[in-house]
Amino acid sequence: MRKIWSYNCHDTVIQDTFIECYNEAMNQNDRQVINMKGRTRNILRVSIIVTIALLIGITLWFNLTSGTKAVEVGDEAVDFKLTTLEGEEIQLSKLTEDKGVILNFWGTWCKPCREEMPDMNDIYTQGHEDYEIVAVNVAENEQQIRQFISGLSADLEFPIALDREKSVTDAYNIGPLPTTIAVNKEGIVVKKQEYQLTKEDISTFISESTE
Amino acid sequence: MELKEIKCESCGHINPPGTQLCQSCGKMIDSDYDQNKIKDLMRYDGSAVRSKTRSKSIFDRIWIFFTSVKVGVSIILAITVAAAIGTIFPQEYYIPIGVDPGEHYQENYGTLGYLYYSMGFHNLYSSWWFLVLNGLLALSIIAASIDRGIPLFKSLSRQHVKKHGSFFRRQRLFLNTERPADTSSLIDAFSRKRYKVRQDGDSYLLEKGRLSRYGPYINHMGLILLLFGSMLRFFPGMYVDEILYLKEGETEEIPTTQGQYYVKNERFVIDTYDKEDGEVFQQALSEGSDLVSNFQTDIVFYKNNSTDIAGSSPDLEEIDEYSIRVNHPFSFGSYELYQSSYDNSQLKAMTFRVEDSSGNTIGDNFTINLDNPESQFAVSEDISVNMRAYSPDFLEVADNGTLVSATPVPTNPAFVFEVINGQESELSLLQIMNSTDITANNEYNIRFVGAEEHVASVLTVKKDYTIPFIATGFVIFLIGLSVGSYINHRRIWIRADGDLMFAAHTNKNYFGMKREINEVLESNGFEAVNDKLDEEDNDKNKE
Repeated sequence: MRKIWSYNCHDTVIQDTFIECYNEAMNQNDRQVINMKGRTRNILRVSIIVTIALLIGITLWFNLTSGTKAVEVGDEAVDFKLTTLEGEEIQLSKLTEDKGVILNFWGTWCKPCREEMPDMNDIYTQGHEDYEIVAVNVAENEQQIRQFISGLSADLEFPIALDREKSVTDAYNIGPLPTTIAVNKEGIVVKKQEYQLTKEDISTFISESTE
Repeated sequence: MELKEIKCESCGHINPPGTQLCQSCGKMIDSDYDQNKIKDLMRYDGSAVRSKTRSKSIFDRIWIFFTSVKVGVSIILAITVAAAIGTIFPQEYYIPIGVDPGEHYQENYGTLGYLYYSMGFHNLYSSWWFLVLNGLLALSIIAASIDRGIPLFKSLSRQHVKKHGSFFRRQRLFLNTERPADTSSLIDAFSRKRYKVRQDGDSYLLEKGRLSRYGPYINHMGLILLLFGSMLRFFPGMYVDEILYLKEGETEEIPTTQGQYYVKNERFVIDTYDKEDGEVFQQALSEGSDLVSNFQTDIVFYKNNSTDIAGSSPDLEEIDEYSIRVNHPFSFGSYELYQSSYDNSQLKAMTFRVEDSSGNTIGDNFTINLDNPESQFAVSEDISVNMRAYSPDFLEVADNGTLVSATPVPTNPAFVFEVINGQESELSLLQIMNSTDITANNEYNIRFVGAEEHVASVLTVKKDYTIPFIATGFVIFLIGLSVGSYINHRRIWIRADGDLMFAAHTNKNYFGMKREINEVLESNGFEAVNDKLDEEDNDKNKE
């Protein structure tokens, strides 16, 4: 047992006894000081714990959702307006009025993009009454695009939209190239693929966009 | 722990056992202080620490868990360790822009790096568990403060003047002496020392510096505000810190303004100190190096009046012009644009000349703009050059004869040039400083003359609504710290029925209080106060 200068009630094992001893030493009347009204206390405790839990939850939610959001299947397709290589202006919402639309984000320096282009062109030239393909070129100049097309055995029939400022690419938050997105007539994204399309893939994209 | 005298490491003063701060120099001596709570009755003025009583509901259990100082210290320790680990490898914002972070950490730092990445250490301050730890720290601070602060406040505000005789005897500073005819001069003397006097019959309570006891709670409030401010950074619209890469002459949308504002880089300037000037940095300048005196971006600030959709060209209205320099940001609304760095690593244009087989230059040089190359260049009256193909980052020649580029960035440009002289034409493939004839027996060579780089200014886009919270929190924190450290809570109890009983207590610096009291006592003809610790020491020495 230790001897400590201030009180005799020190090394008491049981807290309550200790407190009582001390309170006697202070003043009998001081004892009531200790009590805080039970109900107020409970409300305070519960509300503080709940508030902090909520704030942590909200912060986590903001934190997890704040990252740049890519357009995914089921989302509404972001409307855009771009000029094509031929100098025409196209707008997605106008195209989707009566057709399904396949957006193909590509670049001439990207090998799978180069490889899937002729396949898309083959299918497109067989008829595209109920759908449209828009090949959105990501931030390249016309010389590069024309140079690429000139190397192909057949001209590309579908429009090539020029996204020089990457504003549409950014709006869709496109990651790797090629990325292909099918948009139906309601303007909803129904399919998305982030690697090279096979001929079968292209057909699936077409059928899903026109459903 | 046995009681023994403590020699201050700093000044050599011999302190009585149980001392926390050296009585001579004030250095912290007893770091075990918190573990020996039992000695510390007066800290909460003897009131019961609420959580130490009993537990009932789940909320009570959570509450009681977080009121524990041990838990609080463990959380702080966990945060500190996490922050330390976060410095082992670079944070994500220091790795090159555009690379996949997972691959980057794996490639550069191996498995440990991948582990580092997958556990969120690469983005420490926004990793979910770091946020949770900070939230729990807030809960711990609030719970512990309420649990101890409210009972302390109540007991201090409901103090009784009259105290039992045993209370007097138990105080460290105690005096029992013959009662003088008049105590009022003693009380007055203390009141002149700015003690507040309360009287109840023959009993007196003299008190000053009670605020000192609330120092830790003020300081905790500051911390809570600080944590709240840093939490707000995650709320949308409260905090923006983005990079804007702006080539000279280009106009770009300012990020996070939803296409409302655009900025144009008119000109980027680097000024250096004049070597002949002789005013500053003469020594460094004389060693031959150029010292930059100014980085500056001249901008035009636009508002976009078109609310049109993505991809459509904006309708820009010029609002302002400004020269952004280091520490002189351009502000609009709650945003600020800071000069951050610059980049001149990207090729903008390349210049070539044509020479004949004997090495004579023919006609004028021609320059190819790599961003948007033209294909025809008239070199002289007879001879023109046709750029047949261009690859910004040359990889290979494809089967169909076109040049294949690995990336769209002009880091290794290659060209196929056709030199046309009337009816004759010849082809050559040219990479920088390396040309290959495609057609046989070429008469003309195309030589690389020079290149021009893009000058891009890198600006930081900043917006921060959380600074007022964080700054206020920090000021409150410091106020709490000073209140707790520099103010002493001193109380003197005097009872003048029968003998004169005199007892004193302070929350810190007994040495100072003893001096203050003895000064007053002696000038009023009393003996000096007894210090129990001194007595105990003496007893021990006698033994």
